[in-house]
Amino acid sequence: MGGRDTDIVLLDANGIRSDGRKVNETRKVSIKAGVLKNANGSAYIEFGENKILVGVYGPRDVHPKHLSDTDTGILRCRYHMAPFSVGERKNPAPSRREIEISKVIKEALEPAVMLKQFPRTAVDVYMEVLQADGGTRCAALTGASVALADAGIPMRDLVAGCAAGKAADTVILDVNNEEDQAGQADLPIGYMPNLEKITLLQLDGVLTPDEYKKCIEIGIDGCKQVYEIQKKALQEKYFSNGENKQ
Amino acid sequence: MTNDKKRHVIPGELIVSGPYRAEQNTVMEGDKIFATIVGLSDVHDGSVRVIPLTGGYYPKDDDLVIGKIVSHSAMSWEVNINSCYAGMLPATDVFGRDFSSHSDDLTAKLGNGDLIVTRIVNADKTRDPLLTISGRELGKIDSGELVNISPSKVARLIGKRGSMIQTIESGTHAQITIGQNGLVVVSCEDSDGLLKAIKAIELVEEKAHVANLTDQINDMLEIKSD
Amino acid sequence: MTNSKIIDQLKKTQILELLKEGKRIDGRIFDEVRELTIDVGVIPKAEGSARVRLGDTEVVSGVKVQPERPFPDTGDQGMLICTAEILPIAHPSAETGPPQPPVVELARVTDRGIRESKMLDMKQLVLEKDKSVIGIFCDNAVTDHDGNLFDACSYAATAAINSCKIPKYEMKDDAPVKIENEFITPPLTTLPVSVTMAKIGDYIVVDPNLDEWSIMDARITITTNSDGNVVALQKGGSGGFTQDDLIKCAEISVRVGSKIRDIIKQSSSGVN
Repeated sequence: MGGRDTDIVLLDANGIRSDGRKVNETRKVSIKAGVLKNANGSAYIEFGENKILVGVYGPRDVHPKHLSDTDTGILRCRYHMAPFSVGERKNPAPSRREIEISKVIKEALEPAVMLKQFPRTAVDVYMEVLQADGGTRCAALTGASVALADAGIPMRDLVAGCAAGKAADTVILDVNNEEDQAGQADLPIGYMPNLEKITLLQLDGVLTPDEYKKCIEIGIDGCKQVYEIQKKALQEKYFSNGENKQ
Repeated sequence: MTNDKKRHVIPGELIVSGPYRAEQNTVMEGDKIFATIVGLSDVHDGSVRVIPLTGGYYPKDDDLVIGKIVSHSAMSWEVNINSCYAGMLPATDVFGRDFSSHSDDLTAKLGNGDLIVTRIVNADKTRDPLLTISGRELGKIDSGELVNISPSKVARLIGKRGSMIQTIESGTHAQITIGQNGLVVVSCEDSDGLLKAIKAIELVEEKAHVANLTDQINDMLEIKSD
Repeated sequence: MTNSKIIDQLKKTQILELLKEGKRIDGRIFDEVRELTIDVGVIPKAEGSARVRLGDTEVVSGVKVQPERPFPDTGDQGMLICTAEILPIAHPSAETGPPQPPVVELARVTDRGIRESKMLDMKQLVLEKDKSVIGIFCDNAVTDHDGNLFDACSYAATAAINSCKIPKYEMKDDAPVKIENEFITPPLTTLPVSVTMAKIGDYIVVDPNLDEWSIMDARITITTNSDGNVVALQKGGSGGFTQDDLIKCAEISVRVGSKIRDIIKQSSSGVN
């Protein structure tokens, strides 16, 4: 992480970043809901150069039975990177990083999903990173929320993800891979926009208390922008063929 | 309290604030009622619910469903009812109270892969829902084509007081059995009628939320509407 | 619960009845392949990639190229490794964890089809004999399963390798160094294409969908190259083929394979 000497200019004299963005601008995000035939719910998300496919199955039977809970349904998440998704080919077996990210995303979604009405079942969320370019956990979380809604899993809110960070001593929004490698901090956030609660938060790097406050502020703003794209994806699939009212 | 027009909602969206009752697919926080799934919000007579546009089938007492036998024990069959809960059909339901696992062979009546029209007797979530095939129109399905639609579209396929399904049946001379779990059996002596009926069912699923669906179905079946 | 693997008897009867009339459950004729679309370059950061849709079956293939130490007994050749996995999003019964025998078979058949055809002349991918060679990894991920994963993976792998860009490397102080923005032409010699046929009763159908796959008695996957020669074979399932069946299947796979080869060529036109 961070602070490596590099030839790329992270922030030029006009406040423009290496990929042409301003400091408080997210990369281009697009989401399509319902892209797989077999999964109960699914979403495909492009977040900058990140390309992630999410499939949801459930609520469904749990095997082996001892993993199930008689009081409530359980949520299981798997974040996985395809071998061809990163610069140097990655071994298909799950790495410790993927295992940790899977857990962190599960705990970001749990406050949102309502599974008490489905005892003895599981809802499985599978996030497959096909191409990675920094910020995959936020993008995967964003796609997972849409896939869960597509599957009809009851939720108190969607969860939107976006990272804030620091590069060239400046607080920036939505850190890409280059900025993550050469920058000074990366702070991924998962946020429920209607309930106004943060459900995913991590930090890699060093921030002063003031920078930390700014990162959270700018990150939440980024999540709100991402939420609009999530809404659009669901509206496009479910509400676009007919009139708005019956 | 006004009866609001139905609105499109997604999980987490606020539907109303005020003294309303929170019903299906909603959640109440303080005096605010939020949607919990993608669907159409419906406010009337002081209660709020969301009609789902997606989601699976959850067994309810008295529902008529189509099931598939997937295994059996000495005393019952396990039935896939297209839900996260498997149905349980007791052997006594078919063999009667004198059923004896020594003399009566379950597989002689129903084997793996057989389809049945069945009714849910008891859908208590602490154990698998109890089924019965004793009753008129219940029992093993010997012929017909099985169509799978989203359970959230079943109400639309049946229509107000059965109007939609009757339109399709009379327009194609097909017999259609609709399971609340989204499985539909279609039989018709005429293969064209069969194909038309299946296409009509698929059209209802695709356009369930479109306002002039009835007209589109009538056009498809070449029926003059009044 | 394995109930998603239990096919309903009604459907099985239907499929058999239709076959007697020369029809298939989705309206195709016996040697007809489902709608096939191939898009290459879908993962721009990888050195090669392809997405194949064969009916509702979908596979994403990615090619990564990087320098590797050669295998001890083939120091004069580059390295080529193809894998395949069924992602858990692809089907309710797809599992995570160590691959089960059917998935291992899928991966090995996909690898053999590419390797045995000598699609790439590996002798041209050596940087320094016995020390450093070019390693080509073709990983195939099934994202949606509606039967016949063998062919979908074969087409995805062939299309991805056929359209890939191999960076130029040079040896500096005994280590391979990539020369930015310079590429070598992939040493392609042929385009291997597999065709899978299912035997259901006395009938042989090409490109079985999941319904046909679930009730078939046996299957055979035949891979042919651009010259119409057979380069790989795999029989599966618990039934058997007659000698006549096998001759017929080989003829079908050359004929059908050649049409698919054209589709693969078209998908990469303008790339290499």
